[in-house]
Amino acid sequence: MIKDYVRLSFFNLKRRRLRSYLTMIGIIIGIAAVISLVGLGEGLRNFVTAQFNIVDADVITVMASGTGNGPPGTGVVNPLTQKQLDRINSVNGVDVAFGRLIQLGDYLFNDKRGFTYIASIPAGEERKIVYDIVDLKTDEGRLLKDGDTLRIMVGSSFKDNDESGKRVEVGSKLEIEGHDFTVVGVLEKKGSFAVDTTIIMNEEIMREIFSEVGDDEYDVIVAKVKDGADMKAVKQDIEKVLRKERDVEVGEEDFSVETPENAVKTLTSTLSAINIFVYIIALISVVVGGIGIMNTMYTSVVERIGDIGTMKAIGARNSDIFVLFFLESGLLGMVGGIAGIILGSGLAYGLAAIAGANLGLDISASVSPMLVILSLLFSFIIGTLAGLLPALQAAKMNPVDALSESR
Amino acid sequence: MKLDLVKYSLNNLLHRRLRSWLTMLSILIGVMAIFALASFGLGVRHYIDELSQDMGTDKIMMQPKTAFALSEEDYFTQNELEFIRKVNGVGEAAGMTFRSSQVYFKDSGKIKYVYSMGLPTDETFEMVEQLLTVDLLEGRTLKDGDVLKATVGYNYGIEDKVFKRAVRLGDKLHVNGVEVEVVGIYEEIGNPSDDSNIYLTFDGFEEIFGVKEQYGYIAIRVGEEENASAVADKIEDKFRKYRGEKSGQETFTVQTFEEAVATFSNIINGITGILLIIALVSLIVAGINIMNTMYTAVVERTKEIGIMKAIGARNKEILFVFILEAGMLGLAGGLIGIGLGYLVSKAGGAAAAAAGYASLRPYFPWWLIAGCLAFALLVGSLSGLPPSIQASKQNPVESLRYE
Repeated sequence: MIKDYVRLSFFNLKRRRLRSYLTMIGIIIGIAAVISLVGLGEGLRNFVTAQFNIVDADVITVMASGTGNGPPGTGVVNPLTQKQLDRINSVNGVDVAFGRLIQLGDYLFNDKRGFTYIASIPAGEERKIVYDIVDLKTDEGRLLKDGDTLRIMVGSSFKDNDESGKRVEVGSKLEIEGHDFTVVGVLEKKGSFAVDTTIIMNEEIMREIFSEVGDDEYDVIVAKVKDGADMKAVKQDIEKVLRKERDVEVGEEDFSVETPENAVKTLTSTLSAINIFVYIIALISVVVGGIGIMNTMYTSVVERIGDIGTMKAIGARNSDIFVLFFLESGLLGMVGGIAGIILGSGLAYGLAAIAGANLGLDISASVSPMLVILSLLFSFIIGTLAGLLPALQAAKMNPVDALSESR
Repeated sequence: MKLDLVKYSLNNLLHRRLRSWLTMLSILIGVMAIFALASFGLGVRHYIDELSQDMGTDKIMMQPKTAFALSEEDYFTQNELEFIRKVNGVGEAAGMTFRSSQVYFKDSGKIKYVYSMGLPTDETFEMVEQLLTVDLLEGRTLKDGDVLKATVGYNYGIEDKVFKRAVRLGDKLHVNGVEVEVVGIYEEIGNPSDDSNIYLTFDGFEEIFGVKEQYGYIAIRVGEEENASAVADKIEDKFRKYRGEKSGQETFTVQTFEEAVATFSNIINGITGILLIIALVSLIVAGINIMNTMYTAVVERTKEIGIMKAIGARNKEILFVFILEAGMLGLAGGLIGIGLGYLVSKAGGAAAAAAGYASLRPYFPWWLIAGCLAFALLVGSLSGLPPSIQASKQNPVESLRYE
C-alpha cells in the first residue's frame, strides 16, 4: 500500500521533471549552505578547542582576574602568590599543584625582533608532571632539565621562521630581555597556537630576567587532581581556600578556578554565538526553498484536480489523497536534502582544505553524522510542512466539484 | 500598447494570487535579510567615519609594540615624549597611561575590573579629550591640581551597568583600594569597555599606581599644513635612532589615525561581506522559485500564448509580458522586504543600544534602498528570462493545439 503511494508520488514528480528539479535545487542550495557553514564552523571550533592543549582532563587552572584582555596574568591587580599555591597544594583531592609564569616578551633572532609568549617550567618532580600534562615532546634536541640556565625550548612554529633563509634550530641563539639563550630543543607540533609559538625556559632564570615578575608571584597555578577525586568538589574547595586567603566574599572573587571542561566552554560559547547567527542566516535559504515546495505543491494540486476527482470517485478516501500529496512534498524535500548534504560536505571539506593550506593551519571541516541526520530530518520536515496545506486542500476537495472544475 | 501589456501582466499575477504571494514571500525574506545586514554593516562604518572626523585626520598615535603585558622598559618616558615634541612637523604631543584596576563602590558592595587612564592636565588635554571622543555629561573635567579626583565613563551613571546603584557626582570610588571622588561623568561612547573607564590626573595615577612619567600611549597632532603620514614616517625614523634600534627591530609602532581606522574598516567590510554572501544564497533560491513559478505560468498559458500569437502578437511582446511579470514579482518582494528589513534593523539597533553597544546602530542611505530594490528587480527579471524566452519562441499552431 505504502509502496503504491511512493511509486505514485515518484511518478508524479517525474512527470513534471523540470519543476521538480527546480524545486529541489532550492532545497539543495539551502541545505548545502547550512551543511558547509556548520561543517566549517564546527571545524573552526575543534581547532580552537585544540588550542587548550591539556591532555589530562583532571587538571584545574587558577588565574587571578584582570580586565580580561591579553594573555593570562595581564592586567591582574592582585596576583597569585606562593602562599596561595601552598594552600592549594594542601587542599584535599589535589595531587600536586605548581605555579607557572607566562609573559609576553620579545626576542631577537637573526637581527629580527619577534614577540611571543614566554612560559616557565618548574624544577624537580613537578617538571615531569608538566611535561606529562601538556604532553611535551621534542622533535629535535632534548627537553629542558634541572640546572639548565640560559637554555630554552621553542615551539614548532619557530622551525618555519625563515624569512631570510635562516631558521631557529638546536644550538641557535636567541636574545631575550638582553640575555643570550641557546635553544636545546624544538617541540613537536601540537596544533595549538599557544604552545607552538611559545618559548619555554626554567622558572629560576625566568624570574631573574623578568624584573616585573614579583618574587613569589605566579601567573597561573595548575593543580593536578588525584585519581577518582570529584573535580567539582575540588574546584569548590580551591575557591573556598582562595577566598579566605585573598580575603574576598562569595560573588566577589578576584580570581577564576577553571576545569578544562569549563575553560573550553567559556571560549567556545562566544564562538557558538557567532556560529548560530551565521547558521540562522543560512537557514533562511532553506526556508525560502520550503516556500518553493509549497508553491509547487499548490500548483500541482490545482493541475491535478481532475485526478483527485477521479480517484475520489473510484473510492479513494480523504486520507489517501492527503498521504499522496504529503509524501510527494516530503520526497521533494528529502531528495533535495540528500543532494544538498553531499554538495555541502564537499564544499566544507574543500574550503577548509584551501583555507588551511593558505593559512598554514591545521583546520579541517567537521561534518558529523549528527549534522547529516539532522539536516536530512530538517529537509524532510520542511518538505512535509510545506506540503501540509496543499495536501489538506487536495484531501478536502469535493469530488463532484473537482471533476466538474477540471472540465 | 505597452500599457496594455503591463495591465495584462498585473492581471495574471493577481489571478494566481496565492502563487504570486508565495513567490514574493520567498524573495522578500532574502531582501529583508540583506537589507538588515547591510544597514548594520554600513551603520558601523558610518560610526567609524564620524569618529575619525571627530578625531581629525591630523592625529598620530604611538604605542609600544606589545600592546599587552607591558614591562617597565616598554613604556615611553618623559624624555622620549619631549624628544617627540621636538620632531619637525609635530604640533603637540601628549602622553597617556593606563592600567587595569580594581574598582569598588561601597554603596553597591561589588568589585569590578576596569581600565584606569592617566590623562595630562596641561594644554594638550583638549586634544586628548578629542581623541577619546568623549564629551562631559555632568560635572567638570579634570584640572591641574586634582589628585584623588576622577571622571568616569557613562556606564557608571546608569543603574545596573557597572554597579547596581548609579554613581553620582561627589560619590567615592575605591580604585585599587584608594578612595577617589567622582567630579565628572562622560557621555556615552558606545561600547561597554570604554564606557567603564576611570580617568585620573597623572598625580592621581601616581598616588594610586605608584608610577610616574611612564606612558603606554602617545597621541600626536601634527602642525598645520603638515601631512600626517609623512610626519609619522619621520617620527618612526627619528625615534628608532633615538632608541638605538635597527629597522625591523622597533619596540614601538607609529600609526596615523587614518591608517588605524582603515584597518578597522577593512575588518568590518570583510565581516559584512561574508554575511551578505551567505544571505545572498537565499536570494538565489528565491530566484529559482520565481523561475519555477514562471515556467508553470508559461505551461498553463500555452493556449493563451498561441491565441495572442495568432492574432498578431510578436515574439518580443510575449517576451516582454513574461519578463515584466517576473520583474514585478521581484520588485514587489523587494519593496516589502525593505520595509520589513527596516523594522528588523530598528529593533536590532534598539536591542544593541540597550546592551551598551550604542555604536552598533543601523544606517539607511538612500542608495542602499535603491540598490536593494534594483537588485530585487534584477533577480526577478533574470530568473524570468529563460521561461519568458521559452514562451516567446513557442510555435503558435502547436500552442493552440496544446491541451
